[in-house]
Amino acid sequence: MGTAKSEKVEHLNEKISIKAVRNVRRGQETEGNQEIYRPGVKVCLERNSLLTESYKMTEGEPTVIRQAKALEHVLLNMTIYIRDWEKIVGNYASSPDAVFWPIEQNWKSVHRLLHGDEGKALVDDAGRKELDRIVEYWGGKTVSDIRKRAFAGSPDLEKYWVYEGTMLWSQWSDQGVPNYEKVLAIGLNGIIREAEEKLKELGKRLPFDYIQQKDFCEAVIIVLQASIKWAERYAVKAEEIAKEEKDMERRKEIEEVARICRKVPANPASTFREALQSFILVHLIGHQIEFITLGCGIRFDMIMEPFFQKDIADGTITRAEAVELIKHTRIHLEELGQMYSPTTTQVYGGVQVLQSLVIGGVDSEGRDVTGETSYMLLDSVLELQTLQPSIVLRVHDGTPKELILKAIDVIKTGVGYPSLQNDKTLIPLMMKWNCPLEDARNYTISGCVYLDVAGKNILRRNATYFSLPRCLWWALHQGVNPKNGEQYGAPTQDPAGFESIDDVMDAYLEQVRFFMDKQVRVENVTRSIYAEQYPRPFESALTDGCIECGQDLRKWRYQGRVESFSIAVGPTNVADSMAAIKKIVFDEKRVSMKKLIEILEKNWEGNEDLRQIMLAAPKFGNDDDYVDMIAYDVHRRTEEVVEQFSDTYGSDFHLDGSAVSATYGLSLDTPATPDGRKDGDGFADGSLSPTPGMDVNGPTAVLKSCSKIDTLTTYNHLLNQKFTPQFLEGANREVFYNYIKSWADLGISHVQFNVVDRETLIEAQKNPEKQKNLIIRVAGYSAYFIDLSKGLQDHIIERTEQAFR
Amino acid sequence: MKNVEPQEINVVSSKDPENNHKGLVFNIQKFSLHDGPGIRTTVFMKGCSLACRWCSNPESMNRYREIMIYDVRCIGCKKCVEACPIGAIVFTERGREIDWDRCDNCLECARVCPSKAIECTGDYMTIDEVVKKVEDDRIFYENSNGGMTVSGGEALVQSKFVRELLKKCREKGIHTALDTTGNAPWQDIESVLEYVDLVLMDIKHMDTEMHKKGTSVENELILGNARKIAKRVRIWIRIPLIPDYNDSEANIIRVAKFASDIAAEKVSVLPYHDLGSSKYPKLGRVYPMEGTTPPTEEAVERVRKTIESFGLEVEIGR
Repeated sequence: MGTAKSEKVEHLNEKISIKAVRNVRRGQETEGNQEIYRPGVKVCLERNSLLTESYKMTEGEPTVIRQAKALEHVLLNMTIYIRDWEKIVGNYASSPDAVFWPIEQNWKSVHRLLHGDEGKALVDDAGRKELDRIVEYWGGKTVSDIRKRAFAGSPDLEKYWVYEGTMLWSQWSDQGVPNYEKVLAIGLNGIIREAEEKLKELGKRLPFDYIQQKDFCEAVIIVLQASIKWAERYAVKAEEIAKEEKDMERRKEIEEVARICRKVPANPASTFREALQSFILVHLIGHQIEFITLGCGIRFDMIMEPFFQKDIADGTITRAEAVELIKHTRIHLEELGQMYSPTTTQVYGGVQVLQSLVIGGVDSEGRDVTGETSYMLLDSVLELQTLQPSIVLRVHDGTPKELILKAIDVIKTGVGYPSLQNDKTLIPLMMKWNCPLEDARNYTISGCVYLDVAGKNILRRNATYFSLPRCLWWALHQGVNPKNGEQYGAPTQDPAGFESIDDVMDAYLEQVRFFMDKQVRVENVTRSIYAEQYPRPFESALTDGCIECGQDLRKWRYQGRVESFSIAVGPTNVADSMAAIKKIVFDEKRVSMKKLIEILEKNWEGNEDLRQIMLAAPKFGNDDDYVDMIAYDVHRRTEEVVEQFSDTYGSDFHLDGSAVSATYGLSLDTPATPDGRKDGDGFADGSLSPTPGMDVNGPTAVLKSCSKIDTLTTYNHLLNQKFTPQFLEGANREVFYNYIKSWADLGISHVQFNVVDRETLIEAQKNPEKQKNLIIRVAGYSAYFIDLSKGLQDHIIERTEQAFR
Repeated sequence: MKNVEPQEINVVSSKDPENNHKGLVFNIQKFSLHDGPGIRTTVFMKGCSLACRWCSNPESMNRYREIMIYDVRCIGCKKCVEACPIGAIVFTERGREIDWDRCDNCLECARVCPSKAIECTGDYMTIDEVVKKVEDDRIFYENSNGGMTVSGGEALVQSKFVRELLKKCREKGIHTALDTTGNAPWQDIESVLEYVDLVLMDIKHMDTEMHKKGTSVENELILGNARKIAKRVRIWIRIPLIPDYNDSEANIIRVAKFASDIAAEKVSVLPYHDLGSSKYPKLGRVYPMEGTTPPTEEAVERVRKTIESFGLEVEIGR
């Protein structure tokens, strides 16, 4: 039986089309000479062509209506396909191996890429011609064109928007988790009725913004009706296939697909399979076709459990059949693809489109949500390992031990998830950030460690990847770039006059403040452009409150103010650097501040002994209060500076630990740092991971150090740990469970595990073709090892491996 | 190259001037999973009353601080050459070389080395310093029913210190285990037992001649102590499984029978490995077991079955 199963798995595995982007850029330099995607991946222009066609026809109409009609035009005319093995259907591009990008957002970098060497193979000559034709229409009209026009009036905006090494503005991170529960409960038809009611009410009440609200509600109805028709197109397609199908089993299968697509997402789902199908279709429209963005965050078990239980009670499904359907659902999330710009590949090396399914934790009344579907989702990963979606397990005191043990079995495969999130600290953190108790308990993770609440208009937005070690570097140079003499950062105090570590900290924080000010201006101006130019009527319809207030989700905000953040890149290096300065420069006076900076500028050359001395200073991750308390100060005080800034809705900015591969990418542009790091060496990953190789007291000491970085007075963190597989096997499985319990008790917000032998990685680097499916955890996400550049591979190999002794 | 002699019990070395109320510790290993139940912290005391040929912690043998060298870390700054008062360190085309016969472990080179290419192994610590480190991981002990294990070398070479350490941990509600060779005067063992929850004890060989060959001491005292300990405290027996030394069916049966007689709760089989061999040259010594291959999985399984046939719980360690 085992053989039969594995053959079937192999079968599904072979079908999946991998569209992970490869990091071709690191900092401002090209990395390696690999292509940006695996061979065979293409750029599909169909959506953008159809969208353009529609936009040409709707000149002069209100923006939200134009966007709705464009989406309608795409949904009614795009290629749809059903592959001969699919049980859950849905596609976003004309073929399974295609990626796309939204032309209404930007075109220049893609245009450059597709006409240049890195991306030449992604499209054929006819495609290139088509691209040029579309671009002709969009030139001057896209969000990025308008931003450029806006920035042209301000030297500050223009200067600080461009990546220089300190801040990488984040184009893609614009999420939000729709109210899937509502779609499954009342169907899109139910939501259309709400919009129609609202229109009637508006007609009677006639508010001052009647026309804007009316346009919005009409746009909602257009896109929802188009979505229903899109699903019906799959039904028609399935019926055609069924007619020709000779295999009776498959014919029954495909007839069921047809029946379901006629029913959902238009109507409420009543079976487990209908619920999964409805979810996938809605997700494809909202997060891919209407507006391409990473993130998912459905609380899978909480939402799917009742459907499964009903089917089981009715005797219409077996557990094994349901697990199979979950696999098919996951494949759709695995196959999402998007076109990244070469610059953003340094942040998203190895990423397709980050997705997450959340299990466990409490519901809004504080009850544990674990059900059979929680276990089934994990079982489906044991049978079929994919990169996406990542699984997030929310842990609280009432999480069943069996669920954590099952999670350990999945972690042991090396797939890099489930990652663990701690209810004990994250619920209070959400409340501290003004989220009401019920919603805080219902928090979800949409990608990496992004906090979200399903259905609420939070729209988690990352402004920038913010290199904190570079802020420290600016502090050591009074904000002047020694290479060109330009005053780029804040003109802080001359470091030769620093008398204590407090002076260093003050100058560093002043740099953080300076760059926050710049990035918040860039972000807020850009956001207002998005709000005007790029409405999301579909996603709005599925977001609580938009129809009630007659406004697109980009124009108003839910009260829980947790939506704006900057990603903290490299805080551990800042902490280790501060500790080394405190000990060696100020406590022991072994080198002067001035001399140290000179040596750093020469990248330690000729001063290896001093580098060794700085390396030997206390390092974060060893349960050593000397540095851990400094680290806490760095996290807390940086967050306090960041919180002083507000977004366009008056909400505070925060930090966030989701550094993806930016700790590697951005580090190239930060010269040597006082912690002993050399020019261009990678930063410690996540926000809590120790610097690779510097945590010498084992994994318990790492957790102890991390527990001193209080989440409530800082932010939501990311911690990566690497273990060898033996550590989770046999009797050690129980010990690992106890280790996880201790992690939860210590109140650390997050942890995830990379379980792999160093030897396996080195072997995979040498013989990539033999390790095609080797998945490893990079930072907040997993990647196929072979899709990473040599540099990033080395960076991962270098991380401390927590072996047991 | 130097020879290592087993330490006379409780004799203070002449190179051990600061022994007052301090213990000589060579490692405090957190997250230790094989020295008793749960997640533990193992405190390794320096100095041993045996000299086992297969020892994987050769730095544990001498009851004094000494240098260990790590050639890959050397940055060639030559600070050690300047620091050595007797000129026992030179740089040749092969890099830094140490005249081990002349080295008297004054530790000056380790003090000045910036890159830890010469390190001092062994640290004099107070009870409170050790207890603080042990207490750091209390939350892990509580969640896993773990605790502290005192090991060595032979922990009882420093029995007065170890007694105080165990007592302090007991007072703090931390589970205590003693990992011992059993080669110590009974009064020293007895003095610590009241603070020990579990004893882990090695039986290297049941034949006293063979025992002496492998460890340099005979086994009568050890076996007698094991019997006495078992009457007072829970005991686990450990067998380092050394190919062609103690792995014969006959010896394994004798060990199992002994373990069964004294009602040991568990027998751990620790198959020989050579992971410690690279430490010998770091201490200027020669690895006595060069070329020995670890026992095969089949051999280990045979041993497991033999011991299990005595109704004993068997665990295969690493």
